[in-house]
Amino acid sequence: MSEERTTPAWLPILSGLVLVLFLGLVLGPERVLHVARGVARAPRAPDLLPAAGWSMLRMTASYLASLLFAWAAGYYAATRPGAARVILPLLDVGQSVPVLGFFPAAIYLFLTLLGGGRLSLELASIFLIFTCQVWNLAFAVYEGISTIPAETRAAADSLGLRGVLRLRALLLPACIPSLVYNSMLSWTNGWYFLIACEIIVTGKAEYDLPGLGSILSRALARGDLMLATGALFTLVALVITIEFVLWRPMRVWSQRYRYDTMQGEEAEEETAFRLPDLGIPTLLRPVRALVHSLWERLPIAAANRAAARSAALARAAWRWLRWPAGVALVAGVGFGIAGIVRAMSPPWPREAAALPLALLFSFLRIAAAYVLALAWILPLALWASDHPRQVRRLSLIAQIGASIPATAFFPVLVALLVDRFGGMEIISIALAMTGMQWYLLFNLLGGVQRVPRDLHESMRSLGLDRRQIHRKLVIPACMPALVTGSVVAWGGTWNALILSEYVVYRGRTYEVLGIGQMLNRATFQTGSRTMLFLSIALLVGTVVAFNRLVWDRLYREVHARYRLEG
Amino acid sequence: MLALRRVAKSFLDRARPTPVLENISLDIPEHEFVCIVGPSGSGKSTLLRIMMGLTPPSSGEVLYRGQRVTSVNLHAAMVFQSFALLPWLTVQANVELGLRARDLPEEDARKRAAFYLDRVGLDGYEEAYPMELSGGMKQRAGLARALAVEPELLFMDEPFAGLDALTSANLREEVLTLWSDHALPVNTVVMVTHIIEEAVLMADRVVVLSSRPGRIAADLQVKLPRPRSKRDEGFDELVDSIFERIV
Repeated sequence: MSEERTTPAWLPILSGLVLVLFLGLVLGPERVLHVARGVARAPRAPDLLPAAGWSMLRMTASYLASLLFAWAAGYYAATRPGAARVILPLLDVGQSVPVLGFFPAAIYLFLTLLGGGRLSLELASIFLIFTCQVWNLAFAVYEGISTIPAETRAAADSLGLRGVLRLRALLLPACIPSLVYNSMLSWTNGWYFLIACEIIVTGKAEYDLPGLGSILSRALARGDLMLATGALFTLVALVITIEFVLWRPMRVWSQRYRYDTMQGEEAEEETAFRLPDLGIPTLLRPVRALVHSLWERLPIAAANRAAARSAALARAAWRWLRWPAGVALVAGVGFGIAGIVRAMSPPWPREAAALPLALLFSFLRIAAAYVLALAWILPLALWASDHPRQVRRLSLIAQIGASIPATAFFPVLVALLVDRFGGMEIISIALAMTGMQWYLLFNLLGGVQRVPRDLHESMRSLGLDRRQIHRKLVIPACMPALVTGSVVAWGGTWNALILSEYVVYRGRTYEVLGIGQMLNRATFQTGSRTMLFLSIALLVGTVVAFNRLVWDRLYREVHARYRLEG
Repeated sequence: MLALRRVAKSFLDRARPTPVLENISLDIPEHEFVCIVGPSGSGKSTLLRIMMGLTPPSSGEVLYRGQRVTSVNLHAAMVFQSFALLPWLTVQANVELGLRARDLPEEDARKRAAFYLDRVGLDGYEEAYPMELSGGMKQRAGLARALAVEPELLFMDEPFAGLDALTSANLREEVLTLWSDHALPVNTVVMVTHIIEEAVLMADRVVVLSSRPGRIAADLQVKLPRPRSKRDEGFDELVDSIFERIV
C-alpha cells in the first residue's frame, strides 16, 4: 500500500453506481422479499442476484458475530491463567460438531423462543452459519495474543500501557495476521456449508430462506441443472470478487502486523496479478479518514476511566447477580443436558445398532479420499516448489475450489458414475475429496513456499538433481505443513460427510451407510432426536479422540524434527 | 533511590520450584551507573524485571524512594535486547506510546517524541517503520522511547547484544553522553550485560552475580577516570579480577 496509483476519476463513481444498483436489486422488488414458506414457488434464474445479496448479508452478519465471540473466547483463554485448559477443549468439541448437530439448538433458540417469523428464521440461519465460522477464529485470537514475544509484552508493561490503549496498540494488532488468514478459511467454510444453513427444518416443516445455498439445494433436488449451474457460477463469481476486493488487500496490509517479516515475499504478491481496483480505495478513503479522526478524537483517558467505571459497575452487579445468574446458567445447562440425555436414553431405535458400522465405513471413506487427494496434490506441490511463481495462482484456485459445496459436483458425478463402478460409494468418496483436497493443497503450498530459496540453491550447488532435492529438502521441510493440512482436512471432512453421504437429486435420495447419512436421516427423514444426538456424540468422540491420540502426537513429533530454524 | 531487601525468586520447573535468585540486597543511589554482570543463567534479566516491577519477587521487597514497588514503576523505563518495538507503528508512534499512556496531550507528546528522536540521532526517521531500520537504529528508537517518558531511572537489558561491534561501540558512547547530560532527567542507570569490558567501560559500579541460583558474588566500584578506553592503565587488571570472580 506504499505506492499511490492513479485511478481514473470516473471509476469510483461507476463502482458506486454499480453498488447502488446491486443493493436496489437486493432490497427493491417485493418479489425478493417474498418468503418461500413450505412449498412456495420454485426459484428461477432472476432470483440469483438478490439471492447472492441475501447470502452475503447473512454471511456478513454471522462473520461479525463470530468475530465478537472469537475475540471474547480467545482473549479470555489467552489472558486468564487456567482458562485455556477449559476453553480450548470446548472450542475443539464445537469445531467437530457438524452443522446439522446445531439444528435442534437453532430451532429451539430462535423458532420456539422468538416465534418463528422471518426474522427468527434469518437469525436461526445466521446462527447455523456462525457455527461453521467461529471456532478457528477463536483459535486465531488465542494464538495471536499468546504468541506476543515476551520482551514486547514487557515493553508494553514497562511503558504503562493499559486499557483501551493496550488493546489498540498491542493486543488487536498482534491478532491481525492470524485473524486475516483464518477469516479467509471461515468464509470458505461458510460458503461450503451454506447449502445446509439456508433451509431450516423443524420436524415436518421446511422453511427456505432466499439465498444461493437454498437455490442450489432446491435446484439439485429438482434436477434443474441450468439453475444449479447458474447458482454455482454466481457463488464462484462472488468468492473471486471477495478475494480480490477484500482478502488480497487485507493480506498485504496484515503483513505489517507480523513480528517476523520475510523480505521480498509479499512484494511478489502485489505484482503476481493485478486487477484494476475499481476505484474502491478512493471510495473507502473518506470512510477510513472518518474512522481515523473519530479514533483520534477519542479521549483515551476518559475512555479508560469510563471502561474502568463500567467494569467496576459490572463487578458490583456481578457480586449481587452471581448467585441467581449462576443458578440460571446451571439450570439452563442442566436442562439442555437433561434433554439430550433423555433423548439419548434407551430404548434406542433399531437403526442405532448400525451406528458403529456406519462410523467405520465413514472412516474408511475419509481414509480413501485422503489417499486419493494426496496422490495428486503431493506431485503438484513438488512441481510448485520448482516453479515458485505459480504458487499464488494455485493458492487462489485452492481457495475458490474449497468454497464450492460438495453437492454442487453431484450432477457431474452422477452422470459419470451412477450405476457404474460401485455407484454412490465412489461418488461419496469423490465428494469427500472435493472438500478435503483444497485444504491439503493450501497448506502444502504454504509449506513449499516457506522453504528458503538459498537452501534450494545450496542443494543445487552440491549437485543434487530435482528428484533428490524433493526427497532430501522439500518433502521433509513440508512435513509440518502436511500434518497441519491433514488435521484441517480430516476435521473438515468429518463435518462434510453430511453433504457427501446423503444427496437428494432429481427427487431421488442417494445414500450410503455412514455417520453423515445417519445425521441426515435423523434431521430430514425420521426427525429422531435420539439418533441425532447419538450420532453426534459418536462423531464428536471419534474426532476428539483421533485428534488427541493421532494428530497431536504426530504434530509434536514432526515439529520437533522438521522445523526450519531461522 | 532504589533498594532491594533480601529479594529471592524461584520459578516452577516441571512443578518443582527452582531458585533463580537468592538473597539479593542492593542499594542503588541517585546519579549512579550500575552494571550487573554474570554468566548466562545467573538471573540478571529476572533481577532487572523485578527492579522494574514487571515481575514480583517470590520473597523480599523492592523499595523505590522508600515506597514499596508492587506494580510497574512508572518513574522508570526499560530498554530491551530485542528492541521490542511494535512493528505496526511508526518510529514516532512507538516513541509516543508511553506518553499516550500517561495522558500527555497529543501536541506535547508529538513534540517530546521529536525532541528525543533528535537526541538519539533519528531525526528524519519519524515516519519509518521499525522493519525499515537497521539494528542500531532500532535500538536508538528503543532508547528514545524509554527516554521520552523522562524516567528518573533507566533499566537496560543487554541493550547492545544484538548489534555488531562498531554499532555497539558508537551507541555505548552515546548512552554515556546522554547519561552525563544534566539537562536530561535520567541520571541513574542499571544495565545488565554479560560482557565484562562493557561493564568496566561504562559503569561506576559493577555487581557480579554467581550462577544458579544468582547471588551477589562481588560488588566493586570502578574508579577509572572518564572518558575511558580499553587501553587505560588498570583496565585489564579490573576486567581480569571480575572474570576470576565469575569462574
